[in-house]
Amino acid sequence: MLLIANIFKKACKIWLPLLLLCITAVPAMAEGPTPPSSLSNPFVTLMVIIILFLAIIIFMMGRLVIGSGGLYLEKWKKESEEAKKNSTAPVVTTIVLLLLSVQVFAQDKAAPAAATDNFGGISSTAYYLLCSVVFVELLLIAVLLYMLRVFAGIQKKKKAIVAATNTAAVKTSVPELSWWDRFNALKPIHQEVNIDLGHDYDGIRELDNKLPPWWLYGFFLTIIFAGVYLYSHYVSHTAMSGIEEYEASVKQADIEKTEYLKKSANNIDETTVKLLTADADIAAGKAVFQVSCFPCHGKNGEGIVGPNLTDDYWIHGGSIQDIFKTLKYGWADKGMKSWKDDFSPVQLAQIASYVKSLRGTNPANAKAPQGTLYTEAGNAAPATTDSTKTKKAS
Amino acid sequence: MQVEKFYYDNKTVKMFAYAVLLWGIVGMLAGLWIAIALYYPSINLGFAPTTFGRMRPVHTNAVIFAFVGNGIFMGIYYSLQRLCKTRMFSDLLSKIHFWGWQLIIVAGALTLWTGHTSGKEYAELEWPIDIAIALVWVVFGINMFGTILKRRESHIYVAIWFYIATWVTVAMLHIVNSLELPISFLKSYSMYAGVQDALVQWWYGHNAVAFFLTTPYLGLMYYFLPKAANRPIYSYRLSIIHFWALIFIYIWAGPHHLLYTALPDWAQSLGVVFSIMLIAPSWGGMLNGLFTLRGAWDKVREEPVLKFLVVAITCYGMATFEGPMLSLKSVNAISHFTDWTIAHVHVGALGWNGFLTFGVLYWIIPKMWNTTLYSKKLAGTHFWTGTIGIILYVIPMYWAGFTQSMMWKTFTEEGQLKFQFLETVTHIVPMYAVRSIGGALYLVGAFIMVYNLIKTVQQGSFVADEAAEAPALEKNIVPHSKEYWHRWIEKRPMQMLVLSLIAVAIGGVVELIPTFLVKSNIPTISSVKPYTPLELHGRDVYIREGCYLCHSQMVRPFRDEVARYGEYSKAGEFVYDHPFQWGSKRTGPDLARVGGKYPDSWHYNHMMDPQSMSPGSIMPSYPWLYEDEVDTLLTPKMIWAMRKLGVPYAEGYEYNANDDLRLQQQKIVTSLQGDKISGVNGKPINNKSIIALIAYLQRIGMDIKSAPKTQTAQSGQGVMGN
Repeated sequence: MLLIANIFKKACKIWLPLLLLCITAVPAMAEGPTPPSSLSNPFVTLMVIIILFLAIIIFMMGRLVIGSGGLYLEKWKKESEEAKKNSTAPVVTTIVLLLLSVQVFAQDKAAPAAATDNFGGISSTAYYLLCSVVFVELLLIAVLLYMLRVFAGIQKKKKAIVAATNTAAVKTSVPELSWWDRFNALKPIHQEVNIDLGHDYDGIRELDNKLPPWWLYGFFLTIIFAGVYLYSHYVSHTAMSGIEEYEASVKQADIEKTEYLKKSANNIDETTVKLLTADADIAAGKAVFQVSCFPCHGKNGEGIVGPNLTDDYWIHGGSIQDIFKTLKYGWADKGMKSWKDDFSPVQLAQIASYVKSLRGTNPANAKAPQGTLYTEAGNAAPATTDSTKTKKAS
Repeated sequence: MQVEKFYYDNKTVKMFAYAVLLWGIVGMLAGLWIAIALYYPSINLGFAPTTFGRMRPVHTNAVIFAFVGNGIFMGIYYSLQRLCKTRMFSDLLSKIHFWGWQLIIVAGALTLWTGHTSGKEYAELEWPIDIAIALVWVVFGINMFGTILKRRESHIYVAIWFYIATWVTVAMLHIVNSLELPISFLKSYSMYAGVQDALVQWWYGHNAVAFFLTTPYLGLMYYFLPKAANRPIYSYRLSIIHFWALIFIYIWAGPHHLLYTALPDWAQSLGVVFSIMLIAPSWGGMLNGLFTLRGAWDKVREEPVLKFLVVAITCYGMATFEGPMLSLKSVNAISHFTDWTIAHVHVGALGWNGFLTFGVLYWIIPKMWNTTLYSKKLAGTHFWTGTIGIILYVIPMYWAGFTQSMMWKTFTEEGQLKFQFLETVTHIVPMYAVRSIGGALYLVGAFIMVYNLIKTVQQGSFVADEAAEAPALEKNIVPHSKEYWHRWIEKRPMQMLVLSLIAVAIGGVVELIPTFLVKSNIPTISSVKPYTPLELHGRDVYIREGCYLCHSQMVRPFRDEVARYGEYSKAGEFVYDHPFQWGSKRTGPDLARVGGKYPDSWHYNHMMDPQSMSPGSIMPSYPWLYEDEVDTLLTPKMIWAMRKLGVPYAEGYEYNANDDLRLQQQKIVTSLQGDKISGVNGKPINNKSIIALIAYLQRIGMDIKSAPKTQTAQSGQGVMGN
């Protein structure tokens, strides 16, 4: 379903009105087209797919019914008068039912038209419209199924009658077409002689079967899809390019993120961050450190590729705010990556607090101090030494 | 009407059949090897030739060009003679063709193992082998057309149409994609760079699937299926329509391998729509196959050949429906770079190509040895082992691909990526293990087949020259009744050749030429500069070790990729990349923005022992990079070649390029020393491959990082194609 959803996602702006036209004809137009804004709604997409899917089924079943109905009606005319009555009955029923369904359909839509409620982000009109289309389609399928059953019943009855009267002749005259054969426009095997082309390649013969109708229409459908796709991208510009999709997704994500942060404890940045001292926070910071930081800074913060984190010397400042900032944005030129896309602000605060807690632990193999001396109160020191000079190696 | 007697040449067919068996086993073993390497990295052995990056091209080349390639020739040499009612045109050419092809395979395997690769997927073989392939292909062509021209049938059958289209298209693809500038006996650079190279490569790569793995096998299906089922071909009209539609449409679909990349938007869209239109023509072949079996399904239960053919055709149908679906951008956004693609291609490779080959083997070997199959029961066992193998292979891969992609794209509510790249890998490692079991089962099945066929050969007696007779071809045949218009061309193989060439050339011309000629397709970025000599050497190491087989260099414009890797890739960044290295699979993370992300020492330690820097990583270690020296004697040649290809190195720069190279080496060595790395066993490491590789890795993606913001924004708009 997902796959099919994607086929139509881009083109649904064109598909939907087309579809409504085909299936609901005048009543649908009276309702006015669904507002385009709701077309990106996943529910609408899903419904459109279901509608299309059902429409295809209806189309195929319709062909079957017409084919079998016509076939039997014709044959039946030549048979007894009594049988003729039987065969026409379902046709009449169908027409009645069809009319009925249209009526039911019309009622369905008349009712909600006045309502203004919102259903899952789409207008109630659109909601009911979609539902009623699906409903009508299901109804149609039920009717078609019923008709097929009726025709199949006739076929059985007829077979029985004919079999009783003339067993020998029947086998060749009664078509043995199953719904599958009809679906694929297959000729009965015993009629193959008629469509043998007479080619013979090392004993291989070739038949002249028609193209399976669903295959041919499917081919046309894909060509139409291609046209619609290119049209929507390069003529009407209703479909987004890859870059536009990206920009839209980032915008949307930003909105969601801000909304979320507004009501969460995570709304921390480098200006508001405070040193955390609770054991749970330090433990959480340590857990992350042991997984993500140790390759460069060592298991105990002694420093390997990255600097020693246990001494009093800091390249980019040793306050909780500075460390938070370093973690958040990184120092790409020195090999420190930005972690803001990996960890939440709270997590960053926990890591920074853990790092602060390492001070003075004097681990084994400690790397020589790098950067400037940092003392807790003396935030004013940073400019005194050129930190890049000492850290040039990395 | 004079009846003529003649003999079919079975000997060449036999040799090709043996080659199919041999290379099939070799190719599958290589596949199993790399499948295991993905969850048990120690199997890489710390030895260059057995490492994933070199074994993987050996696997793909062996199964495509050796196993399926010989399968094509086996099937064509068998069926073409019988469809043309004549012996092959020249026994000598048959012999040259056979041995030439086997030599190419051996040379290919050896050069790939020793790291000689052009770095373009499925076209890795270096220029001397490329030339050999072209020559052998011409020999094959002469032999094939010679046979067709001296046929005793007035018309050529649909199988032969497919053979003709195959021949002409593969020739075109191979020649255009392999254009490269040699700098030494086994080293060359692609003529094309960046976006253009990518387009040419995937125009080739996609149509290698189409015209090496699909059309010739459709031809084989059109011969062996009706023969084995003893049923007429279902629909001649369908043959005509699906043949022409297939070859015309297929060629356009290449760009679907490059969706959301820096390829111009219009080319991507063409790739999408032509892929969708490809469903029906592809399925035409499947329908003509399956409907031909009408009235013979009872035989399918009995006859192993038909069992294999039916599953092959079904897999073909599934793969050719899935392919277009994967070409839809929104599906591709999920599937691309993941194991989903691996699953998809293996439905085709194991199901369609593998099973069809097995079916043909089970058919022709008893026939040529004038006996019956040794054991139908064993063939049945092979069938079920193989089928279960395929299922066990593809299901974990679909699962792995989908899961990993979803993990990549998951953000926390705070807007952070939820999973580190490595977490998404370790999560799917169990799936890799199951996959290798599936692959192993499939291989076991192949061994059962080999045993069965050996026994069959032993119980029969080989008919090297099979007697046949047919009336001579009358020069002027008057059609009895009104004929199909298409019958006209079926009597004219040369016109067929020309028309096929036109049909397949159109798509390529429309997509390639504007990408080369219209400047706005690749907006230039002024901060993008040519590689330094050391970086060029490093890039060669990167290509040699097949890094591109696991690491992409293409950040797609997705929120998660930009968050994970950095700014999305722009067309203008790759203008000096001969060849491009965008990759097609992310077993490891993308590297397009890896430059400057880690210190030099990180890379140094990581390449030596990846697990030390990223615990749980499945990357192999590369200890030989710490032994190998960079060949500085090649530097002037490299600079010269790049300038020839349009990279703006100053005239005469090749003579002092090595000075710059040494300076940069020293810079990296100094930085390593700063992090307590002072060489291997105290010896200087300046000239080792690892230093060059670090130089290259630290460069990737840096040009755009140093670019002023406004400029990148502009080039981003340019890519949008407004």
